[in-house]
Amino acid sequence: MKDRLRSDKAAGLQPMPSHHSLTADGALALAYLLGYLLIEAISFAQPIVKFGVTPLNPQTGLTLALLVARGPRWMPLSVLAAFASEVLVRQTPAPLVELVASAVWISVCYACLAAFLRTYGGDDYLTSLRSSIRLAVGVILTGLVAALGYAGFLVLGDSLPVESFWASAERYWVGDINGMLLLTPLLLAAPRWRTLVAPLRERRWEVLAQLAAVSLSVPLVGGIAGIEQVRFLYPLFVPIIWIAVRWGATGAMLALLAIQIGLIAQVQQSQLPVRFIDLQFLMLTMNLTGLLLGAAVTERAKALSELATRASELRALLAVAPDAVLTADTAGRLRSANDFARALFGMPVAAINNGTAPTLHALLPGMELLGSEGRATFAGRRSDGSSFPAEVAWVQLVAPSPAGTLAIVRDATTRRLAETQARERETLVARTMRFAVAGELASSLAHELNQPITALVSYLRASQILAAPVAAGEPRLGETLGKAAREANRAADMLIRLRDFYQGGGGTPSEVSIATLLRGVMESLGDRLRASQVKVTESVPEELPMIQTDPTRLEIVLYNLLSNATDALSDTPPGGRHIALSATCNDGILSLAVDDSGPGVPPEGLPLLFEPFNTSKPDGMGLGLAISRSLLKAQGGDLSYRRSVRLGGASFVATLPVGPAHSPST
Amino acid sequence: MTKPTVFLVDDDASIRDALSLLLSLKGMRAQVFTSAEAFLETYQPDWRGCLLTDLRMPGMSGLDLNQSLRQRGVSLPVILLTAHGDVATARAALKSGAFDFLEKPVNDELLMDVLTHAVERDAQIHRATTQRSETLEKTGRLTQREREVLVLLSRGLQNREIAAELQISPRTVEVYKARMMEKLDCRSLADAVRMGLALEQEPAAGENEPDRPVPRLDA
Repeated sequence: MKDRLRSDKAAGLQPMPSHHSLTADGALALAYLLGYLLIEAISFAQPIVKFGVTPLNPQTGLTLALLVARGPRWMPLSVLAAFASEVLVRQTPAPLVELVASAVWISVCYACLAAFLRTYGGDDYLTSLRSSIRLAVGVILTGLVAALGYAGFLVLGDSLPVESFWASAERYWVGDINGMLLLTPLLLAAPRWRTLVAPLRERRWEVLAQLAAVSLSVPLVGGIAGIEQVRFLYPLFVPIIWIAVRWGATGAMLALLAIQIGLIAQVQQSQLPVRFIDLQFLMLTMNLTGLLLGAAVTERAKALSELATRASELRALLAVAPDAVLTADTAGRLRSANDFARALFGMPVAAINNGTAPTLHALLPGMELLGSEGRATFAGRRSDGSSFPAEVAWVQLVAPSPAGTLAIVRDATTRRLAETQARERETLVARTMRFAVAGELASSLAHELNQPITALVSYLRASQILAAPVAAGEPRLGETLGKAAREANRAADMLIRLRDFYQGGGGTPSEVSIATLLRGVMESLGDRLRASQVKVTESVPEELPMIQTDPTRLEIVLYNLLSNATDALSDTPPGGRHIALSATCNDGILSLAVDDSGPGVPPEGLPLLFEPFNTSKPDGMGLGLAISRSLLKAQGGDLSYRRSVRLGGASFVATLPVGPAHSPST
Repeated sequence: MTKPTVFLVDDDASIRDALSLLLSLKGMRAQVFTSAEAFLETYQPDWRGCLLTDLRMPGMSGLDLNQSLRQRGVSLPVILLTAHGDVATARAALKSGAFDFLEKPVNDELLMDVLTHAVERDAQIHRATTQRSETLEKTGRLTQREREVLVLLSRGLQNREIAAELQISPRTVEVYKARMMEKLDCRSLADAVRMGLALEQEPAAGENEPDRPVPRLDA
């Protein structure tokens, strides 16, 4: 009988492929029918009571498994199976109509149950307590309705005496429940049997011991106590609970299957006068215990493993987190701190466990004053007494965790330093730029004013000569003209000193790497370039020689050129805004080219391109290119314009001599 | 041959006017040009004097003008007027053969001094050039023998030594010498010796060439 049941299970295995071809459906239907009739034949061959009622109706479990797996529309097949078994196997002495009606009734009941379980039953009755409870409740209620109907039809057809209606219905009911509880979950789980039995291999010896316990318990219990006393059968729960605890519902149901088959076989063979109803209820209790306990165990194991996974993920997260993470109780005593936190605050590893760690309030003074949650920057205190700028985000811990505070701390020292340096550099660039603007102004002013002064001085000398013959009577005339000439010369000198003062200003030359300098300029212009949707391509070889120059002045030149290029692209569609930066070194001259894809400089703008106060921008001073050229010339270089071959717009080329700069003219 | 003139090139009208006035009062002839290009267009090879040009001008700069003149073989001395502080440019100008540079505003005494020197230099150059061409013209009339006698004479050789050198009689040397003196139109032997020295310095002196071309001043 055991072997046959296995073959039924195998038959149930085949129909499960997800694509249900017609052939596969036919094979499944045939297997179901044959399995059903076979079980019926075995049960009926040795009937315990009339009408083929057994303590366990496996064929009902088979029917429910089919209907749940394939849907209630397979109901006609179950009707056919029930009817065929009545006619072919049982040869029930009842009218045909009655047999058909009862077969239909039973099938309808289980089709309804199948429909319910398909919608609300969940995925797996063996691993989910919720699903298994629904299955159990559904089976018990539907079984009752089906049994009442079945017995009712038999009574109506006079095949069953009215007085045995309740007894028959009850036995039929419990038998169906047992069959369904035992077989349906196992058959539905059958397609996954490989994954289900996989863990068994790891604990071979335990499995063997459990197999031994199962196979020995039934004959042992039967042999010692005799089956007539059902109360002596309760030790059979022990292996079932053991297996359920270790392997969950899957193991428990398999063990139950084996035990119950053995039990029935023994009862039938010994012909012992055990009360049928006692045996049925024992089995029912066993089945419910195994299924629900097993499902609960599996569910708990799954929850525990998920918890362990999450805990280990959390540990890993805290270990690699680039920030300090600390928790403290309501009094501020540290409960935990990750490695980063310990390193940041300089705490020994054991400090938290032995209670010598400082409180959260001592580490981050002032935090508790700002409430239980927030985000702020404090002066963090290290254990050596030093402090650092600490950016802290903290929250209140609530149940189910113990009340307290969780704080994430970031050391802002490096970022602050970088910000300060960037600010300082920008200040330096801005100051040098202002100086350069003033120098350019002074220079052009000096040049422009020098012309009329030169004329003035010459006119005055001429006047002195012209006045000489007439000045005999008035000596002060020549003297006055001389004084006027001297004053004009003094004005010229002042202009020159003013210009020299600004041209002499600025930083001292140092060794500069062009690549590094460019990176700095690109960083400070980055936001603006991104906002203008300008694509910048750089071709600056790292192996360019170092140049001896004042980096700030060269930065101003590059900043001006890149800034001009960006402005020039404002009328170009966003997709076509390109700037190409390239650097080359030939014959001791370093060339830096800034090309853009803008409109370029119109021909009429070329003669005055580098002259001060000449601009095409509405809000421009017209000093950028003039200053840039002056700065480069002061360092022995030059700035020139041509049309960009690569991008079609403007191309400005700054040149500088490599090696010691020419002494700037004064 | 024209009177020495200061050719003044400046884009600033006031400076042109003021400087030319000053120069004329100081007794110098001045001719003004508004740009380097204008000067180059009107330049004549027989112009004597010097060129006083502004350094910073739109278009061709003073430096460019100086270079252009040097390339054409013009020997006219060039004085650059620079803004104060353009030492680097001024140095470059001197390297490329400018006569001198002056800073604006210019001191009139210094200006006159430099201009006078420049004019003198120009005259000197001109004289040397003229003399050399005269010498060549006269020595061109000499025969081979007469030329040889002149060269040896200017090396300080006596008649007897010349005769031995040329393997002729001292008497014949006397004849050549007299004929040579006549052809060269020399009143004294010293004049002839000077010409002989000039002749020797002349590279690849052609033989019996009646006319050596006078070096041209213009392009």
